[in-house]
Order: sequence, then structure tokens, then C-alpha cells
Amino acid sequence: MVRGIQSFHPFVLLVYYVLIIIGLMLYQHPLFLLGALFLIGTFNYILDKGRELKKWSFMIGMMITFIILLTPIFNRRGDQILFHFFEQPIMLEAVIQGIMIASTLAGILAIFVTFNIVLTPDKLLYLFSKVLPQWALLTMLSMRFVPLLIRKVKEMMSIQQVKGLSFNQGSVHKRAKNGMQIMQMLLTNALEDSIQAADSMSARGYGLQKRSNYNAFKMKSKDWLTLGSLMGSSIILLFGWAKGYGVLQLGPVLETIMLSGSEYIYFMTWLFLIGFPILTEGKEVIHWKYYQWKM
Amino acid sequence: MARSRELLITLSTIFLIVLVSAPLLSARHYMLFSLLILLISFIPFVIRFAKQNLSSRELVLLAILGAIAAVSRVPFSSLPSVQPTTFVIIVTGIVLGPQSGFVVGVLAAIVSNLFLGQGPWTPWQMYSWGMIGLVAGLLNNRWLMKNMIGRCIYGFIVGFLFGWVMNLWFVIAVIQEFDWNAIVLYYSASFWFDLAHALSNVFFILLFSVPWIKILERFKQKYGIFAET
Repeated sequence: MVRGIQSFHPFVLLVYYVLIIIGLMLYQHPLFLLGALFLIGTFNYILDKGRELKKWSFMIGMMITFIILLTPIFNRRGDQILFHFFEQPIMLEAVIQGIMIASTLAGILAIFVTFNIVLTPDKLLYLFSKVLPQWALLTMLSMRFVPLLIRKVKEMMSIQQVKGLSFNQGSVHKRAKNGMQIMQMLLTNALEDSIQAADSMSARGYGLQKRSNYNAFKMKSKDWLTLGSLMGSSIILLFGWAKGYGVLQLGPVLETIMLSGSEYIYFMTWLFLIGFPILTEGKEVIHWKYYQWKM
Repeated sequence: MARSRELLITLSTIFLIVLVSAPLLSARHYMLFSLLILLISFIPFVIRFAKQNLSSRELVLLAILGAIAAVSRVPFSSLPSVQPTTFVIIVTGIVLGPQSGFVVGVLAAIVSNLFLGQGPWTPWQMYSWGMIGLVAGLLNNRWLMKNMIGRCIYGFIVGFLFGWVMNLWFVIAVIQEFDWNAIVLYYSASFWFDLAHALSNVFFILLFSVPWIKILERFKQKYGIFAET
């Protein structure tokens, strides 16, 4: 059963991801970014209890430490010296900058983890096929060949291993050469197969007329509603960004990190935009509890 | 046809120069900016292919070459950063022409990422591999691609360029201001991986480009596909 965020039309989901990624790049303010990181983390937890995110956590962690350590060393903008490191002044502005860049990247990587869970290849290809049908067909054909080829490679490898070739031992030169021999066999074999597949396509009428396609997704009223509110809140956010809200002024004078006045409005809108999947999932949890309570 | 091709190439070269020199103009929003320029510079090629009428044989052949390029990482999983994907793309470009090289390069990036997971690196991989195939195809009748030494040089350079393009967005995002010291430091960190990629390209080209080109040429002739390239 498809439910929650995954029940939305792929186009709405794509718009959501594009908006979030652009937003993460434009909104360079520690509080905005930390709020975003927290919500993206929650989103990950709701989807699969953070299992996929854990696989990426090492890489994300490495990147963050790398950026936070390196940015202050190379960035010399600002005038508030924190301390000296090898006779180089470390600026408060640069440290803040480093934290902001690190959270932007961490946010983008973490949101891509959910992207891979939510926008499965079939949805992605559906979107593709609307704009670029030839590319979508090509990608689909290619994807279909991958498992087939892997099966063939494994078969060939085990046959060759029986004959004494090895892929796991010996010098790099030897291993690479043996591996490539397999690839060569695969090439000839696959090319012959591809001609057969193509002729079978032609026999079934490929290219005679415009290709029809199976449409698995339909824009429902809730999709239109969501799309509207996503667009609406991002227009508000863009307006705020253009006026300088949600961007921390680093120079000439460092702005205070605390929010003030109308900046709160933009902050709430930003949290709403990112937290929209959590809201939809939360709504279902409330429904469930309600039904349980009624029984 | 030939004129439109040249126009496309000139356009995308201009965009590439803008892409590389953009940090000098606007470092603040480089991440977003670079992504935009990247898309603009390769969308003309994407559209050009989308508008073309291909026979089913040509289409399936491209699909299977893309799949081979993506799958070819499997028998090499025990060797880090050694993979013949780039090699397969170069060979395709040489035999089947610039457009097919481009298509197989982009396809290999899409397909392998559909299995390994998409990320901010997907468009960069599509761009790099696509361009590697395109340039190999453009040079296919020149001295460089006709002899072994030229092909090896191309494979070596391309191995480094691939790594450098992949680093680009990250580096500029980190340093914000153009600073040679930081760039050299970061690129030296990835040097060994790039070198491994470059050397493995040379290795594959040296040992296998002749038989692979022969196999593909034979196919092209036998079934009369991609006749105009």
C-alpha cells in the first residue's frame, strides 16, 4: 500500500526536492540551516528509521569535519579574531561560514538519501518520459540489461575460474587483465543479443507510429493543492531572500545570529516547506490513533 | 548537419569556459550558478539526440553499450578506482561517432546511479562522461585517435579531468574565494585516485582498445548500423 509522502504525484515530489535543494543553497543562515537539517533528519527517520542515512553518515561526517576545519584556515574575511593558528588569524566570521557550508552540504546529501527512497526509478523514468521520451526509453532498455549482464558476467566468471583464471588473487595487472577478458566476451555476446532484441522490437511494430505509454500516475486534487502551497511558500521565501532575510551578513559588520521581527515569518515558512512530508506523515499517524481510540 | 554540429560544439565550449571562470565573477552562489551553467551547456546535445529518428537496432545497441559501461564495474570491484567505464565510453565514441559516445557516457552515469543511488554528483558524472565520449568521437578520424600513443594520452588526460570536474563544485563551495593554495591542497588529496583512474584508462586502452574497436567495427559493418558516422 502506497501511503504518506510516497502517494503524491512524482511531479509534486520532484518540485519539492528542487525547491529544497535551491533553498539550502540560497538560505545561508545558521538557524535556517540547522532547522532544515533537523527536519531532514526527522524525514529520514520517518521513512526508514534512518537506516539508509546511516550508510551515508560516515561520508557526510568526513565532509563536514573537512569543511569546518579547512574553511577558517583559507578564508580570511572578517575582523573578529578568535585565536592564532600557526601565526594565521582564525576569524569568527570564517568559522561561521564553515559551519554554514558544512550544513548546506550535509543537508543536500541527506535530502538525496530520502530522494532515493521516495522517487524510485519508475517514478523518475515516468517524469523523464514526459519531456524526453527517447532518453527514457533508452534508459529503461539499459536498466533492463543491467541485471541480465550481471548474471552473464557471474556465469562467465565462474566458468573461467574453473579453468584456472582468478579475479581475486594475483597482481593488479593480472586481475585487471582477467577482468577485461570477461568484459570482451560479454561485449560480443551482448551485441549479438541486442540485435535480436531490436529485431523483436521491430517485429512488434516499434517506430511505426507515435509510442503510446502506460500512465500509472494521475494528478489528484490533493496533488494540485500541495503543489500550490509549495509554490506559494517558496515565492514568499524567494521574496524574503531577495530582501536579505535568511542570509547572515558576515561583512562589513557581523550580524547577530538571533532572528528578529519579520524574519520569523520567513523562518516558519521555510520550516513548513521542508517539513511538508513530515506533516503528511504526521496527519496519518493522527488518523490511525483516532481510529484506534474510536474502537 | 555538419554546421549545426560545429555550432553546438562552439556553444558548449563557451559555456564550459564560463563554468570554470565563474568563481571569479560570483563565488557566493557558485554551487547554484555552476549547476545552471552545466545544464545549459549539455542540454543542446540532449535535445539533439531526443529529436533524432533511430532504428531499433541502433537504439538497443546504444542501450546495451551503456549497460556494459555501467556493469563493467562488477568484475573490478576488488580494485579501488579502477574501472573500465571510461574506456568503454571512449571506444564507443571512436567507433560509433561523437553523438553515440555522448549518449553512452550520459547513459552509463544515469544507469549506474539508478542502482548505486543518486546524489549531487549525478549531473557532473553525466556531463564528464558524456563529454569524454563526445570528444573521443570528434577526434576519431584525427591522428590522436588513429594511433595507440594518441589514444593512451587521451585516456590519461581524461582520467585526471574527470576527477577534477568532480572536485570542482565541492572546492569552490568550501573556499568561497578563489585561492590557489586551497585548490592545490584539495586537488593533491585526490591525486592518487585520479592517477589510478588515468593509469587504468591507459592500461585498458593499451591492451584492449584494438580488439574492442575491431569487434564494434565488425558489428557496424555486419548490420549496417550508424552508417553515416
